[in-house]
Amino acid sequence: MLKLNQVSKWVKSGGRRIILLNNLNLDIEEGEFLSIMGPSGSGKSTLLNVIAMLDDFDQGEYFFENEPIHLLKSKKRTEIFNENIGFIFQAYHLLDDLTVYENIETPLLYKNVKSSERKALVADILDRFNIVGKKDLFPHQLSGGQQQLVGIARALIIKPKLILADEPTGNLNSKQSDEIMQLFKELNQEGVTIIQASHSESNAAYGSRIINLLDGSIQKS
Amino acid sequence: MIKNYLKTGWRNIIKNKGIFSINIAGLAIGIASCLLILLFVTDELSYDRFNEKADRIVRVIFQANVNGEEIKEAVVMAPVAQVLKNDLPEVTQSTRLAKSFNNRIEFDGAYYGQSSLAYVDPNFFEVFTFPIVQGAKTEPLDKPNTVVISKSFAENTFGNTDPIGKTLKVTNRDENLLVTGVMEDMPKNSHFHFDLLVSTLGYAQAKKTTWMESDFFTYLVLKKDVDIDVVESKLPAISEKYMGPQLKEALGMTFTEFTKENEIGLFLQPLTDIHLHSDFSDSTTLEQGGDIKYVYIFSAVAIFMLVIACINFMNLATASASKRAKEVGIRKVLGSNKKQLIYQFLAESFIATFLAAFLAVIIVSLALPFFNQLAGKDLNFQYLLSPEVILAIFSLILIIGFLAGGYPAFYLSSFNPLSALKSKFSGSGKNSGIRSGLVIFQFVISAGLILSTLVVKEQMNFIQNKELGYEKDQLLVVRSSYLLGNNEDNFIDEIKNNPLVENVTHSAFVPAGESDNEVGGIFKNNEFQRRMSFYNVDENYIPTMGMKVLEGRNFSEDFGAESDKVILNQKAVEILGFNKNPIGKSFQRDTHDGLKTMTVIGVIKNFNFKSLHQEIEPLILKYNPYGGIIIRSKVADMSGLIENLNNRWNAYNVKEGFDYSILDDSYNYTYLKERKMGTILSLFAILTIIVACLGLFGLVTFTAEQRFKEIGIRKVLGSSATQIVALLSKDFLKLVGISFLIAFPLSYYLMNKWLQDFAYRTEIHWWLYLLAAGITIGIAFLTISIKSYKAASVNPIKSLKTE
Repeated sequence: MLKLNQVSKWVKSGGRRIILLNNLNLDIEEGEFLSIMGPSGSGKSTLLNVIAMLDDFDQGEYFFENEPIHLLKSKKRTEIFNENIGFIFQAYHLLDDLTVYENIETPLLYKNVKSSERKALVADILDRFNIVGKKDLFPHQLSGGQQQLVGIARALIIKPKLILADEPTGNLNSKQSDEIMQLFKELNQEGVTIIQASHSESNAAYGSRIINLLDGSIQKS
Repeated sequence: MIKNYLKTGWRNIIKNKGIFSINIAGLAIGIASCLLILLFVTDELSYDRFNEKADRIVRVIFQANVNGEEIKEAVVMAPVAQVLKNDLPEVTQSTRLAKSFNNRIEFDGAYYGQSSLAYVDPNFFEVFTFPIVQGAKTEPLDKPNTVVISKSFAENTFGNTDPIGKTLKVTNRDENLLVTGVMEDMPKNSHFHFDLLVSTLGYAQAKKTTWMESDFFTYLVLKKDVDIDVVESKLPAISEKYMGPQLKEALGMTFTEFTKENEIGLFLQPLTDIHLHSDFSDSTTLEQGGDIKYVYIFSAVAIFMLVIACINFMNLATASASKRAKEVGIRKVLGSNKKQLIYQFLAESFIATFLAAFLAVIIVSLALPFFNQLAGKDLNFQYLLSPEVILAIFSLILIIGFLAGGYPAFYLSSFNPLSALKSKFSGSGKNSGIRSGLVIFQFVISAGLILSTLVVKEQMNFIQNKELGYEKDQLLVVRSSYLLGNNEDNFIDEIKNNPLVENVTHSAFVPAGESDNEVGGIFKNNEFQRRMSFYNVDENYIPTMGMKVLEGRNFSEDFGAESDKVILNQKAVEILGFNKNPIGKSFQRDTHDGLKTMTVIGVIKNFNFKSLHQEIEPLILKYNPYGGIIIRSKVADMSGLIENLNNRWNAYNVKEGFDYSILDDSYNYTYLKERKMGTILSLFAILTIIVACLGLFGLVTFTAEQRFKEIGIRKVLGSSATQIVALLSKDFLKLVGISFLIAFPLSYYLMNKWLQDFAYRTEIHWWLYLLAAGITIGIAFLTISIKSYKAASVNPIKSLKTE
């Protein structure tokens, strides 16, 4: 599905080059559930952002479904991202001024989906995540786990092929965290490719493959 | 989607109530000012346009420069109208109007002294559009001594009875006028207003053939699509052809010889220019008009007000960008493109603008009566509801919405989603530079307007306190004393003996307000010099007016007949070349019976007998008491004297009431236009600084929020509240300071230009700048310190706890 070839990324700080990703090679097949592990600052988030095309890299090649991302203009990249990828944040990043329903609906609005179709899609996903009763609440009225549930529902609403989750359970307790992981597993079984970055061994274990990152390099596969 | 934009926009407004109230209040004040000025300007520009032929009507005017005398008159000679119609194929119609003064109209034993009367040519109603509502619809004035009266005059005079066929008496001229028509009252936006229009067919002046006297306002109707300049270029030849022979006879010079050294000629002025583009001598002005300069000034002020309000919006939106950055990041990750984000931010500004416009309309409806009083207008709120204006308001909303929301929308939507989410973004850098620039711009306008207002006020003070060469206070003018007929002298004697009266003079020549007027040709050694103004006075004139005799003597009964003696002002002495020993010198003046020699018996100090816009002209006082009465009161409060005079007046059983004017009031009225301008300008100066300070308040709020933690740390380290206030205020006050550097030269340049309109003017003193700077800084600092003091007084524990 996607392939990173000798990808490097660095930032300059006071004349010195700080390496974030170091000659990284990564191949991900459709239907995989990949967990990226590693200590703080090892480059997990950077890698996810590069895969999400939210961030540039300085060297190497990136193919997404055979499209050479490193050669595309940013507008085209954004387009591919918007079509194929759902992003889930550690801090949920729900829009505070919108209700649960409206938060989930927003990506559809940006894709100009018709109103009736939007309603059906949102209703489906609310139903599936068992949050119909909460649809008119605002994010601050929800618990962290519930907020992340909404975040996931919002990522899924566009039916992405790939879900990128940056420490999705980092702010949750273990019970909520297990529920989310269980959900990820189900989604993966339905055919959605998932890449998650995580600190926790137990969460990473839900994945079908685990890679370890240290100082921007993969340690073992 | 639009629904969604509006919904999120609205929620955001609710969430940031404080900032949006500032925005909306500022915008509302801006839009309201803009609408008021729009009403004012439209009204000023609408003058005379109600005439169906407005764009084809021109007025013939007379301009000359004869031996240094600048002449600019809106009246021309009696035959001009007919000649131009006959000789110029481009002219389809011509009509004349002559204003008549001091009329005494009588009907059925009742007198109507205040009515305004003019003689007009029979075809007047074919040129101007004043609908006849009763009587002969066509050619109501085609016979001598016929009159068309206004509707309100008809109601006043005839009540419910039919006025057509009734006869009005003009008792002071022994004329009988037959009412043949009633016209609608002349619209307010006409450059003249009359209640009675009398046919010129019975009017002797109208038949005069002289080209040496100007009496008639003359209007031409041009053929469609005729270029005024082309017609105007044919006028010099006409002047030469008709004026030439008479000029030769009077001055012994041919027209060509005369115009070698002098300029003289007829020109055309479009009807629609009359109200705003007229600067003719006072005696030939029908009514005090407007001034195109003020139309420009106020239009500029309106635009500035809007821009300042829009800047508030922009600044507050970009300053709050750090707050919005996260939202932008999320939305971008959720698939929003830039365009969609721009729409969303624009939606917010449009909602705000809409609310502001709605508020503005309410403000205007409440402020209109007050504004009308200030501007001396009769502007109507109904006008705001007409389709064109509503369209204008909507386009205004669109423009403001884009102006105010556009920059923030593009700016906010361009964030990189990743750094936005990480809140790496701060409201500094290039953006805060632009913000500073905009704040400076706002204060350039505010400080500039404040300085300009102060200059106008200073000039008004100067006018009020100027040494005029006579004492304008405590003078009472009774111009209608001629109505007493044979009793006039008795009345004057009574006044002389009144203990409240210091002095009294028998003259209708007053240096301010309505006055009689006489201009005549002056000859030296039988050679024409130039025209000069005459005052017809008696021996009490100079002492009553408080004028100063510099050389020679005043008129006196002791010297017998004084009718060939004159007193000159210094300027006349200078122009006639009598500098050494003027007393006893003589010159000739033009009269209907040829040249008459006059001998100088005295010189008085120059006094301003025209408005301070004009230099003092040569003036000749001659002994010829007639007309009105001017009384100098012993006490400042003249109400007792007026009461007293009123009773004496009524004792003579005059059917018309006692009518007087206070010279000081008339003097002030001369500068009404400038005074009104000053008042309106100060109003908008205040509003401008309020709006600018609203913005400043918002910005300080943000800064205080952004530096919340820093303030806490500084306080823990021992900083006092005052030091914190100084810390927060410093940067803003610096901007205000910089704005003076731009505002003051600009304002100096413009106000100096304005002052050039006055021949006698104040300087722009250094302390005016200081005052303007003080006011601006003071208001700005007050605004800032309210907020920054609050921020500085917070317990530091609180701000540090937020970690």
